[in-house]
Amino acid sequence: MRTISHTLPWVIAVVLVLVAPHVFGSGFSISLLCRMAIAAVFALSFNMLMGQGGMMDFGHAVYLGLGGFLAMHVMRAADAGWWIPTPALPIVGAFGGVVAAGLGGLVVSRSTRTAFAMITMGLAEAIVALVLMLPRLFGGEEGINADRSGGPPIFGFDFGSPLEAYYVIAFWALAAAGLMFLFTRTPLGRLSNAVRDNAERVGFLGYNPGRVRYFVYMFSGLFAGLAGGLQAINDEIITSANIGSNAAGAVLLMTFIGGVGTFAGPVVGAVVVTLMQMALGTVTEAWQLYNGLIFIVMVLWAPGGISGIILAHAPLVRSGQARRLVPSYLTVLPGFVAALLGTIGLSENAYRLQSIRGGSPPGGSIFGIPSDPQTMTPWLVSLALTAVGLWLVARTAPRARAAWLEIAGGTQA
Amino acid sequence: MDQLLLILLNGLVYGLLLFMLSSGLTLIVGMMGVLNFAHASFYMLGAYVAFSISTLMNFWVALIVAPLVVGALGALVEQYGLRAVHKHGHLAELLFTFGLAMIIGEVIQLIWGRWPVAYRVPESLDFPLFSIGGTAYPAYRMFMMGVSLFMFVVLYATLARTRLGLVVRAALTHPDMVAMLGHNVPRVFTMVFAGGCALAGLAGVIAGNAYQTDPGMALALGAIVFAVVVMGGLGSISGALIASLIIGLVQTVSIGLDMKLSTALGRIGLHVDGITALSDVWDISINRAAPVVPFLLLVIILAINPRGLAGSRSS
Amino acid sequence: MSAAPALLLDGVVKNFGLVHVLRDVNITVAAGERHAIIGPNGAGKSTLFHMITGRFPVSGGRISLHGRDITDMSSYDIYRLGVARSFQVTSLFNRLSVFENLRVGAMRNKGAGHAWWRLLDGYGPLRERAEEMLEMLGLTARRNVPAGLLAYADQRALEIGLAIVGGATTILLDEPTAGMSRHETERAVALIRRVSEGRTLVIVEHDMGVVFDLADRISVLDNGRVIASGTPADVRGDPAVRSAYLGAAAEVLT
Ligand SMILES: Nc1ncnc2c1ncn2[C@@H]1O[C@H](COP(=O)(O)OP(=O)(O)OP(=O)(O)O)[C@@H](O)[C@H]1O
Ligand SMILES: [Mg+2]
Repeated sequence: MRTISHTLPWVIAVVLVLVAPHVFGSGFSISLLCRMAIAAVFALSFNMLMGQGGMMDFGHAVYLGLGGFLAMHVMRAADAGWWIPTPALPIVGAFGGVVAAGLGGLVVSRSTRTAFAMITMGLAEAIVALVLMLPRLFGGEEGINADRSGGPPIFGFDFGSPLEAYYVIAFWALAAAGLMFLFTRTPLGRLSNAVRDNAERVGFLGYNPGRVRYFVYMFSGLFAGLAGGLQAINDEIITSANIGSNAAGAVLLMTFIGGVGTFAGPVVGAVVVTLMQMALGTVTEAWQLYNGLIFIVMVLWAPGGISGIILAHAPLVRSGQARRLVPSYLTVLPGFVAALLGTIGLSENAYRLQSIRGGSPPGGSIFGIPSDPQTMTPWLVSLALTAVGLWLVARTAPRARAAWLEIAGGTQA
Repeated sequence: MDQLLLILLNGLVYGLLLFMLSSGLTLIVGMMGVLNFAHASFYMLGAYVAFSISTLMNFWVALIVAPLVVGALGALVEQYGLRAVHKHGHLAELLFTFGLAMIIGEVIQLIWGRWPVAYRVPESLDFPLFSIGGTAYPAYRMFMMGVSLFMFVVLYATLARTRLGLVVRAALTHPDMVAMLGHNVPRVFTMVFAGGCALAGLAGVIAGNAYQTDPGMALALGAIVFAVVVMGGLGSISGALIASLIIGLVQTVSIGLDMKLSTALGRIGLHVDGITALSDVWDISINRAAPVVPFLLLVIILAINPRGLAGSRSS
Repeated sequence: MSAAPALLLDGVVKNFGLVHVLRDVNITVAAGERHAIIGPNGAGKSTLFHMITGRFPVSGGRISLHGRDITDMSSYDIYRLGVARSFQVTSLFNRLSVFENLRVGAMRNKGAGHAWWRLLDGYGPLRERAEEMLEMLGLTARRNVPAGLLAYADQRALEIGLAIVGGATTILLDEPTAGMSRHETERAVALIRRVSEGRTLVIVEHDMGVVFDLADRISVLDNGRVIASGTPADVRGDPAVRSAYLGAAAEVLT
């Protein structure tokens, strides 16, 4: 029974990964799927530190980036005739990641919490600046590129086509996720939880908490580097942007939205955020602003992320009591939707107004509704929607919360 | 020699400016445990608000009002945001300020645009005060130094002489004890947070026109201020002062040195041209390496002592 | 060889800034002895434990374990020499289950090290030890509850459990029964008696019933000094102890 509940999600994941490119066959979807897989590995490696080990690493993208650069150099060597098959490149990336983290960990692993977070950030800044200063090694602003089909073919595949690259990436992503899951059940994995909860006590049980942190940091760097190798295969280019603070912020957002408290949370977050980036990034300039708002709303009202919400409701769904929650949840919905629409209206109008000032033609539309930011109406409507929506949420949310508490409390007792 | 004096002066001005930012941040980190990511965003906000006020009225009004506006905003953020997040732990607080920094950055671009704004030094201070070896030294730089020193004295007096300062100092070393002594800790937190934000805002007011006011200014300085705070030791004001001055001077000096690393090492008797594998490194001119310097310094200092220059607590 | 005492504190001094918490503490604990340390609040008992286990550096004096100097060792090295302790202020792994707490506690001595190449569940003796400890602590029913959600008395029991699950030869317990009910205290004392059989036990305790019941020898700490040390009978009759213990505890002493 227990083994079934443990293996079933993995079986489903494997089937999904195999089937997905045939259901969503377009080049765009396959590249989206690859991105999701890479982001998932990266977010899982990040959560090894943040969720499992209680270490907030603001420089985690460094290990993805350095792994990626190393893999890229090796890919170039393969293009030049060395016998290095493309599917082996993630191993090269992982090697780069673990070596870099082995060095970086010497500096950071003696600190905890806030100091740790700040030091990782300083270290990352230093490395990003160094990378930009060494153009021969890292290609400066443009980065370095190579051709993934230039390596030796394996069974006739040269991995140049998107589908072939997808299967390489999917294989490694699944393998990495599986290994990271197993890691959580090893002595070192459990020790990292203990260090997260109470580092000092670990010292009185015979372990040096700094050393535990150091080892976990190396493993996390290893998988981040592997994700970098995957990225090298997928994009065929790595630049300093892959190392910098934006990349580190993105993985933080993914992990947090998915939920740090569960193993699968970061995967959920990676999928959701990648989708959002693709979907919203093409239709709105306000992506950064929405990012910030999502952060704040989640931190305030759903600190457990999506998987936290699911965990809070799963037992209720199983016992069939979730139905009783639906009515009180529905009462919150109108206010929530109104506030959401209002916020979107305000931000979209603001961005629109800015580009009109910058010389774009006047007018505009949101969701197909004409909305000219140089007139009062769209502003008033958006503002009213936001205000009324927030007011409604404030009125209805306590009751929904009480309903959940009552029912969930009932099942627990 | 004159060149050196000039660089030293500029380094001192820059270092004191860093201290205005890092003193507030180190209090917030040390007392509340909040790694405030938005701290440099308040600095940026100070510059932009001052720009608007000084175009509507004048610089002197901006000098007083803008820090107050930023401080008030900080108080609101602490009261209605951070306090609600506090129960979810440090990580949640940190993520909250992370989101806040993103929002402030975007909103500033929405209001003031994506390009630098024309926030200028007031005419009454726009003259050369004295000249060193033929180079005129702007009076405004001296004014910046004066404001910084004045704030330093005010801060010192507040911490050393007032009741609030006493509580703040106690809370830095024994955070759990202060609440037990019956002080209204949430109110002290609000005041410290607001005060830190106001200081950051003031730094923005006086630096925005001396350097440049643009949407990237928070990001550029934010990381350096973090480095200063960690280097000084979390929660240590004197550590922050020393670290600010060190980084201010070292960075200004390295910007002023237009010389290849290999040449510089050659001057002190190290000949490295033979090591060609690292030729990329030797070819870096020192002024281009200036951005890394604070962080390299940080890494070195932490390798020696993980608690920083003057920190008594490691976390 | 066996002449060396299990634990020897030789002139141990501790200052926090200008506060002199321990001034010249000399205590000898023989191997296999149950040694109680008593004294009024703020006497420095917990600080003494912190000194022995390497939590804070000493300001002066030497500490040795079976003749080996451990004064400047780190807490984890001292643990590896066979010294485990509990804390007066409960200190657990709050998000880990009771079972996982105990498993972490036994990991070092069951040879799990920092292993990352083997699953935890593969360590049979480790699991058995944790299960056995659950049983002994009476926490079997709470096996999968996160430690942070336990009732206070259960947390105190787990706190003791973390100190003894690793099978250390020298066990230091800092007020293990504080806050427990009469019944829970009896249970805990029976457990402590059982697990300290053949080991060295140092216990800080305010409950004089427990102290006189359990201890072979007693040291009385007052204001950072040992004012008496000896068998329960010696200590009971000591005038200095009586004057340090005016009030409730004095009645127990009579
Ligand atoms: N970190 C510290 N800094 C300064 N003083 C300290 C520190 N830790 C303990 N003290 C002081 O040392 C003295 C002894 O403390 P300790 O906790 O060892 O006493 P104790 O005998 O265990 O008391 P109790 O019975 O209340 O547990 C107290 O006066 C306490 O205030
Ligand atoms: Mg005590």
